Amino acid sequence: MEDAPVRINLKIPKTPDEILDYIHQVIDALREKVKLEDATIRNIKLILIELVTNSIKHSNDDDALIQLSFSHPTLTIEKVDKGLQIEFTGDSHKIPFVDVNKTVMVNFSEQKRQHIKILDKYQFKFLDAYKEGISIELMPEHFGLYIITLASDSFIYQHDPKLQENRFIVNINLKP
Amino acid sequence: MNLSKEKVNGILIVTIEEKEANLSKADRFKELISEEINSGERQLIVSFKNVEYLDSSFLGALVGLLKILLPLNGKLVLTNLNADIENLFELTRLNKIFVIKTDLTAAMLDF
Repeated sequence: MEDAPVRINLKIPKTPDEILDYIHQVIDALREKVKLEDATIRNIKLILIELVTNSIKHSNDDDALIQLSFSHPTLTIEKVDKGLQIEFTGDSHKIPFVDVNKTVMVNFSEQKRQHIKILDKYQFKFLDAYKEGISIELMPEHFGLYIITLASDSFIYQHDPKLQENRFIVNINLKP
Repeated sequence: MNLSKEKVNGILIVTIEEKEANLSKADRFKELISEEINSGERQLIVSFKNVEYLDSSFLGALVGLLKILLPLNGKLVLTNLNADIENLFELTRLNKIFVIKTDLTAAMLDF
């Protein structure tokens, strides 16, 4: 494993059919710099697919970026875009949060429910809502954020109100 | 959305003829398979032998189809998942909900 910090910045694809090439490019670039196990690569692919898909669906920022950086032992994948903060539907929680340090359920849409832990006024961590197992009744039909939560060691959202910038920060701890 | 379909012993075998099972194809896939269910198909196999990756939108379409089929006493078996797609099902624990078989022969034997 190399200790030197590495950074990879590649423009996010604009259409779903460009995702596959993008994922191959990122994985190739990463493998040149960091030794990765197959299982880790599989999770990185899932995270990239869902971050890019999320960006294609929800971001209007043409300069949105996904940055990968590695500083032993943590690989960080960050999606950064300009725009308003995430807004939840159908409940009282909104950014800036008041209930810091609390774990709450929020709705991203009717079928996208997600447990989060509020870290500060502008930051929260995604939690696994289905630790006890998933059932057909509970199964959502929109899994993107949930997949990223499961495929990573931590998944955090940050909003910078001054810069009007959103960051989705995914950390994966690599085995020694 | 390119699909090939074949009926063997009353089972509809659908092969996805795409490398990418993603956002741009999920809705159409759900629509096409729903049409088959509406026209009476209850036993389905979906083969992913040509598919390199599957995203959350397509996974959602599969969940939606299962939710339609189960109350009709239907059955959906997924086959030929590559290691990346298998990982997605394991991670989301949907491998406990869906019937997943390594190949078509094993899938056929499950009916």
